[in-house]
Amino acid sequence: MTPDAILFWILAVVTVVSAITVVLITNPIYSALALAMAMIGISALFVTLNAYFIAGVQLIVYAGAVMVLFVMVLMLFDLRHELQAFTRGKISGAVKIACVGMLAGLVVGAIYMSSSSLIHASAAETMSSVDATKQLGKLLFTQYLFGFEALGVLLLVVAVGCVALARSKGGTHEHH
Amino acid sequence: MGHDAFQITINCLKLVVIFLMMVQAVPILVWLERRGSGFIQNRLGPNRVGPLGLMQLLADAAKFLMKEEFFPETGVKLLYYAAPAAALIPGTLAFCAIPLSTPVHIEAFEWLGQSWGPYTFLFQGFDINVGIVYILGISSLAAYVILMAGWGSGSKYSLMGALRASAQIISYELALGLSIVGVILMYGTFNLTEMINQQQGPLNFQFWGHTISSTVSWLPNWGIFYQPLGAIIFFAATFAESNRLPFDLAEGEAELVAGFHTEYGGFKMLLFFIGEYGHMMVASGLMVAFFFGGWSIPGVSFDQVSSWASGATSSSSLASIFTSLIFFVSFFVKLAVFMWIFIQVRWTLPRFRYDQLMDLGWKTMLPWALANTILSALFIFVAHS
Repeated sequence: MTPDAILFWILAVVTVVSAITVVLITNPIYSALALAMAMIGISALFVTLNAYFIAGVQLIVYAGAVMVLFVMVLMLFDLRHELQAFTRGKISGAVKIACVGMLAGLVVGAIYMSSSSLIHASAAETMSSVDATKQLGKLLFTQYLFGFEALGVLLLVVAVGCVALARSKGGTHEHH
Repeated sequence: MGHDAFQITINCLKLVVIFLMMVQAVPILVWLERRGSGFIQNRLGPNRVGPLGLMQLLADAAKFLMKEEFFPETGVKLLYYAAPAAALIPGTLAFCAIPLSTPVHIEAFEWLGQSWGPYTFLFQGFDINVGIVYILGISSLAAYVILMAGWGSGSKYSLMGALRASAQIISYELALGLSIVGVILMYGTFNLTEMINQQQGPLNFQFWGHTISSTVSWLPNWGIFYQPLGAIIFFAATFAESNRLPFDLAEGEAELVAGFHTEYGGFKMLLFFIGEYGHMMVASGLMVAFFFGGWSIPGVSFDQVSSWASGATSSSSLASIFTSLIFFVSFFVKLAVFMWIFIQVRWTLPRFRYDQLMDLGWKTMLPWALANTILSALFIFVAHS
C-alpha cells in the first residue's frame, strides 16, 4: 500500500466508527462529541483529496454547527416526557422505519449516481485555491442559490424550535 | 515532507522546534505577566526566587509536578484526562502554519561522502495554500476542549463555565471571520506568505489606474493602513476567542470559582495555561501577518539585508540563514508587542457582564465587521475598475 492509501484507510475508519458511534451511543453528549470527530475526519479526507479550502470550511462551519448542537442537547437534556412520547408508540415506529428507508435510499442512490461521475484524482484538473474558491462561490450564488438559502432557513427553524421547546415555562411539560 | 533524508529530517525537526518554542515561551510570558501586573498594580510580584524572580517558574513547575493527582467523584475519566492534553493541539497546529521569516536557501554541499542537492526551507512548520481558512478551522476546535473539560469534571461550576465559553466563542467567531474577509479581498489570496510579500516596500496602491504612493518614504505598505477597522475588530475578537480578560467569563472567579478548570490541579491545570498562551501567540502572529507586514522591517528592504548578510558571511547558505534570523527577530519583536498588549489589557480593563458581552458581540462587532466587508468590497471594485 502507498502512504496515501494507508492514510486514507486510517481516516476512513476513524470517520466511519465515530459516525456509527453518533447513532449507537445513548448519551447525547458523547453523541455530539463523536459527531465532531466525524466532521474532523471528513475534513482530513478532503485534505487528502487536495481540496484544502473545502476542508477548512468544513472545519469552521461544521465544528461550529456541532458546537451549537452541543448546547441544544444540554438545553433539552431533561425532557424525559417528550422522550417517552417520541420513542414509544406506533406512529414514531412508522417514522423510524420511514427514516431507515430514506437513509437506505440515499446511500444506494449516492453510490449508484456517483460511480459514473467520479474522476480519478490524477485525471482531475487542478486549479489554484483562489480559482477553486471563486468557482465555488459563483456556483453557490447562481446555480445552487435556492438550495443554499433554503438550508439557511432550515437551520433557523431548528434553532428556533429548540429554544421554544427548551423554555421552561412554554415547554410541553408542566412540572416546573 | 521532502525528497531525501536530510530534507525530511529538517522538516520534522522544524515542527518539534516550533512546538518547543511555543511551550518554552510560556514560562517567560507568565513571569512577564506576573511581574508586569505587579508593577501595574503598584506591587512587586514574584521577585524572591533567583535574579528578578526568574527562577519562580522553575519552582512553580516543580510544584505543579508534585501536586496530588486528583479526580472528581462525579467526573468522566476519559474526557477529564483527555481535555488538558487536547488543549495544546489547536494552538500548536495553528502556530505552525504562520510564516515566521524569509525562506532559507541552502546551496548544494558534500557531506558523508554524498552530495546533497540545493534546498529551500520555509521558516514555518508547514505551508498551506489556504492558510487563513486552516488556522480559523483549527482554532474553532479549541471550544471542544473547554466543553470536554467542563463536562468531564462533573461539576456545576465547570459546566457553567464551559457553556459560557461555547456561547462566547460561537458569537465572536462570526465577527472574527468577517473582520478578515476585507483582508482576504484586498490581498486576493488565502496564503499568509503571499500576503506578507504584498506588504513589502513603502506605502503605495492602485486607485483608478493611478499609482498613489505616500510622501513619507519610510511608511511601510502594511495592511493596517488599508483595513484599520478590520484590525481593531479582529484583535478584539481574538481576546474573546482566547478567553482573556475582559472576556474571560468562562472562568469568572467571582461567580464560578475558576470556571471550566475548577476541578483541575497540578500539571493538568498548567496544560490549560499553555493552551491559553498558545492562543495568544497565534492571535498575535496573525495580527502581525495580516496587518503589520509579517517579518518585514519598515524602511529596510529584503535586498538590503540580504546583501549586508552576504558581505558579513563567507558562504551564500550562511548568508541566507543570517538574513532569515534577522527577519525572524523583526517578527518576534512585533509578536512580543502584541503579547504585551494582551497582558496590559488584562490588568487594565474590568470584566464585562455577560449580557454586555453578548451585546458587544452581536450588536456592535458583527454589524461593524459586515460594514467593513461591504465597504472594502465596494472600494476594491471601484479602485480596480
